[in-house]
Amino acid sequence: MAKQQQPPAPPPAGGGQPQQQVQQPPAGPPRSWPPVADRVLLGKSIKRLDGPDKAAGRAKYSYDIIRPGMLYGEILGSPHPRARVKAIDLAAAKAVPGVKAAIVIKDPADPAKATINYQGEEVAAVAAITEEAARDAMRLIKVEYEVLQPLATVEQAMSPNAPQAFSSGNVSKVNTSAEGDVEAALKTAAHIVEGVYATQVQTHTSLETHGGIAEWEGDKLTMYVSTQGVNASRDGIADALGIPKPNARVITEYMGGGFGSKLGADVQLVIAAKLAKAAGAPVKIMLDRKHEHLITGNRPSAFAKVKAGVDAQGKFLAWDSETWGTGGAGQGAGFTVPYNVYVFPARRQSHRDVYTNAGPQRAFRAPGHPQACFITETVIDELADRLRMDPLELRMRNVQPEAPNYQWKKYFPIGAEKIGWNRRHPTGDATAGPIKRGLGCAANRWAGGGNRSTRAMCEIQPDGSVTTKISTQDIGTGTRTVIAMIAAETMGLPLNAVTAAIGDTNYPFAPGSGGSITVGSVSPTVRVSAENALKELFTRVAPQLGVTADALEAKGGRIQVKGTPAKGMAWKDACKLLGTTPIQANGEWTQGLSSVGTSGVQFADVEVDIETGVTRVKKIVSVQDCGMIVDKLTAESQMYGGIIMGLGFALFENRILDRNTAKMVNPNMEWYLVPGISDIPVIDITLVDQPDRGVIGLGEPPVISTAAAIANAVSNATGVRIRKLPVTPDTVLAALQQERAGGTL
Amino acid sequence: MKPFAYVNAANEKEAIAALGPERGKFLPVAGGMDLLALMKDYIAQPDRLVNVKNLDKAIAKTADGGLRIGAAVTVADLAAHADVARMYPALAQAAAEVGTPQIRNAGTVGGNINQRPRCWYFRNEEFDCLKKGGSRCFAVDGENQYHAIFGDGPCHIVHPSSLAVPAVALGAKFRVAGPAGEREVPAGEYFLMPDRNLFGETVLQPNELMTHMILPAPGGAKSATYEVRYKQSHDWPLATATVALDMSGTTIRGARVVMGAVAPIPWRASGAERALAGKAITEQLAMEAADAAVQGAKAMTLNAYKIQIARTTVKRAIMLAAGLKGNWA
Amino acid sequence: MPRRKDEPGFSRRSFLKTVGAGGVAAGVLAKAPAVDAQGVNVLGPGPVPVTLNVNGQVHRLEIEPRVTLLDALRTRFNPPMTGVKRVCDRGACGACTMIVDGKTIYACSTLAIEAQGKKIRTVESFTQGTVLHPVQQAFCEKDGLMCGFCTPGFVTATVALLEKTPNPTAEQAKRALDGNICRCGTYVRVLEAALNSGVKRG
Repeated sequence: MAKQQQPPAPPPAGGGQPQQQVQQPPAGPPRSWPPVADRVLLGKSIKRLDGPDKAAGRAKYSYDIIRPGMLYGEILGSPHPRARVKAIDLAAAKAVPGVKAAIVIKDPADPAKATINYQGEEVAAVAAITEEAARDAMRLIKVEYEVLQPLATVEQAMSPNAPQAFSSGNVSKVNTSAEGDVEAALKTAAHIVEGVYATQVQTHTSLETHGGIAEWEGDKLTMYVSTQGVNASRDGIADALGIPKPNARVITEYMGGGFGSKLGADVQLVIAAKLAKAAGAPVKIMLDRKHEHLITGNRPSAFAKVKAGVDAQGKFLAWDSETWGTGGAGQGAGFTVPYNVYVFPARRQSHRDVYTNAGPQRAFRAPGHPQACFITETVIDELADRLRMDPLELRMRNVQPEAPNYQWKKYFPIGAEKIGWNRRHPTGDATAGPIKRGLGCAANRWAGGGNRSTRAMCEIQPDGSVTTKISTQDIGTGTRTVIAMIAAETMGLPLNAVTAAIGDTNYPFAPGSGGSITVGSVSPTVRVSAENALKELFTRVAPQLGVTADALEAKGGRIQVKGTPAKGMAWKDACKLLGTTPIQANGEWTQGLSSVGTSGVQFADVEVDIETGVTRVKKIVSVQDCGMIVDKLTAESQMYGGIIMGLGFALFENRILDRNTAKMVNPNMEWYLVPGISDIPVIDITLVDQPDRGVIGLGEPPVISTAAAIANAVSNATGVRIRKLPVTPDTVLAALQQERAGGTL
Repeated sequence: MKPFAYVNAANEKEAIAALGPERGKFLPVAGGMDLLALMKDYIAQPDRLVNVKNLDKAIAKTADGGLRIGAAVTVADLAAHADVARMYPALAQAAAEVGTPQIRNAGTVGGNINQRPRCWYFRNEEFDCLKKGGSRCFAVDGENQYHAIFGDGPCHIVHPSSLAVPAVALGAKFRVAGPAGEREVPAGEYFLMPDRNLFGETVLQPNELMTHMILPAPGGAKSATYEVRYKQSHDWPLATATVALDMSGTTIRGARVVMGAVAPIPWRASGAERALAGKAITEQLAMEAADAAVQGAKAMTLNAYKIQIARTTVKRAIMLAAGLKGNWA
Repeated sequence: MPRRKDEPGFSRRSFLKTVGAGGVAAGVLAKAPAVDAQGVNVLGPGPVPVTLNVNGQVHRLEIEPRVTLLDALRTRFNPPMTGVKRVCDRGACGACTMIVDGKTIYACSTLAIEAQGKKIRTVESFTQGTVLHPVQQAFCEKDGLMCGFCTPGFVTATVALLEKTPNPTAEQAKRALDGNICRCGTYVRVLEAALNSGVKRG
């Protein structure tokens, strides 16, 4: 849960992965990137190395792998969000032809383990020789439930008459913090805005669902898992099964999206391993879409009752908020307001997590930030309305002072220019007709950083081939390509001369891909391992050239004497000197090559049809930094991707639970609305390179401020304030209705 | 999906022979866009599927100057057909907005007209709702933001077919064939409210097939369909309307106004039709007719906004049909 | 690639293995069509012979009528053909897009038994040896792919578009790709790839 003090620590990314790492003193000698002018690959637009395999359909994801003799597993999830399992009868399931194993997961004999807290929670499982047979059998498992009244909404959970669905109570203890005298500051305020703000529950909707294959060979377990963290997955599954970690191996060559939901050890693999043991054959379990929505995590809802004050000159004075939200049947619904881009000298905050009978939250791309950003940026636009001041001007007066990772003062004017902020009209488009145009903006911040435990091994073979081994994984961000680029750059080789071997716990440790720390963990480590390997190669080459090793450099496919390029030899000839023994050099994460802290701003240009309530986003402008850019092409894709996911959060996505039964009514891709290509506006991105800052991750920042910018633009267009997400036709029409009835603007 | 047997019917006669009188037991399959999802969700659990893709897939002119459209015509072919676009623009416009390219390529006219509701309670086996033989409609005090604003229950689905709306507005008839022979049913009588058929949405008997949509000669009628969706890409309409106007100069002699996604059947707006009849077309008149169209609409707990959207679809469809320039695009 | 039965080197055993995967679940062997009281030829519900023409090759399977075209390729072919993905399994995402008789369809919502006699093309067919199709090339160059799970579906829908409309407008391309969902958010560059594939030049 987020702490409520200032300055706020962003909430943890979850899944056991720290979101930011304190960068400790260096483990070895100081390291650096090549001077900008000398960079051959770094900072350029390099096509991702696995693009051809993906585009050709050759890439094998866990979902695609079929092992010899493999069975298909199906998990029976509880249809009831709150219940107790009284009895389970597997007989009919076991009798289905082709069924090889069936196991109980919720043991009715043990009341402590027989409780169901959310729809889809695992009750029992089967494995059979075809998916169809497994599903037939799963449906024949007979379960007797004691069905209990569920908590579907925060209102229900917080009601004094609510059943106590959770042993610790339905609501967490209040977490409070304060700075300065809020009451006094509000008394001096020229304007005060008071409102209630809300954001919805968003599901990750990774296209490849959770799951994988478990395969035993004696007491050794090999798993092919759709995961963002092979090591956390391996460790957690081994613990759950009670086997030594070295006996378990996780392989993730390709994975089809996670966005934070695949950072931990997934129960699907634990169950697959148990079924595989029972059946004596490998078992694959991949969730269906319904269960993917139900149980694999979500972005918690957020609610905030806010009172904020500003003086007549537009200086923020005070922020007073009471917040709550639900991450379902578990903690983690915290977020920090006011969003720490702006300075509110006096603050008072209180927060409660509310527990409901729904699938527990998991880290979701910038946990807590889009919610906090939306709430804060909306309040700021409301304050600007009261002041009759340009909301951009109000932001410029209250944004944090400039620092390398606090560049908003510089970026806001750039974005304003690109979106055409000077044509912005005051709140409410006064032109005739039902189509109203509006502009809005918002800012983001993220930490990123690197995990100092990261290790890599660089191998140089006598035939000249180079392989970097590291147990990171490429979740679509381009990590594989970044690793190869850095190794190739360091060794002066073309990209196709090096291989990145990733996605296997047999390789040296790397953290899970969460918190935007992958590139900051991997890049320095790969650089160091490549330099270490190269140094060893230099020691073999130096005697041949009659110089000392430190006189050598690797450049343009040659090992040569610095300053005397003619004196040297081709890479391949140098490697022949190794005889039959390859170089294997370890590398540790080292300070100086990466950094912490990104900042960015976004602007939205929207059209709202006030006769239908439908919003169409015409354009998004984004100005964003991420330290030193490694691969410009894939970094830009992160920007587009984050903005598009933010657009989904702004307009469409909403996990809807039936309020009476707490069952999800839209656990599919028909009514859980993800943007399609016709929903995508013009997206104008400016990626600010900071080559001297070192590498910083970019996965999360772009998703943060899109919804806030869009909602503010909708308010600017319509003249009525949008205080909740998603901005549906219903929300817009209701706001317009309220305005006609004498609203607040 | 439950296992089922399969019959590949070569023609209409074979298809009818392969169907049976018991509801839900033997089902026709054309594009499968709706049926397979129903079966995967165990809402439909037929013992037998009968392939009806070999039924008539032609679009032919009729003797009286209309069109006869085979039920096996795909939605894509319907949308792309020059005669359809020229004679019945409202139908072509509706067809072009159905689902996605893949759905339009496989889905058929018959399948679209006869598809089952998308109500998320109906399509979830965990809700034993009225339509599935249960005791209540879960939408009444549940999540009804996409449910009906007309019809007053007891089942609050909205009819899912986008083609059904212009079919009613354009005065189409459906040819129905069964063991007892064939008949033609006006589109306006084909769809049944829940109080007349709770377990289906049409007059079709389990052993009958809808084989053709027969459109009367358009005469001088001008038609248009206007649909409002939440997403611009694949999504279901929040409301849609088809308007067919019989015009004499700028005067409307007669009008048919039908709304979709607002009621358990395509909803004829007689009030709007009366408001338009005999008047000269103006934007103001379109607005008055649109107001009349939603007279009597009754919001559930969460869908009052649909009344405003339905009103807008009617107004804009009238203006489009009449060739008035809209101010919304 | 799966081989035809009449091809040299065809293994009877591997053929039977394919058969077995579909057959044992229902616990019955494939039967000739039964004729019911109305004289109707009824296939299944147990495994029945199904012949599919995929990427120019004939595949003979014994599968239940309920097996979808998507699942037939992914789990019944030997070796499995897994370029085409299963994501929503309800005809709402496009990850399973194939081209059947020249038109894109959702293979998750098509029964394999109903795809007989049709010309089925999948993403695997576009690459000539190791040379990518211009559309695949464009997806790589424009970075119109990230995690890659939706990519085969988008590539297939784009190929189908360009075969019919070699010089699409942005609006035409968007409409043609509206049946496909990407969660990583590659749409901007997918569109660039669709409009700059080089197909029109070649």
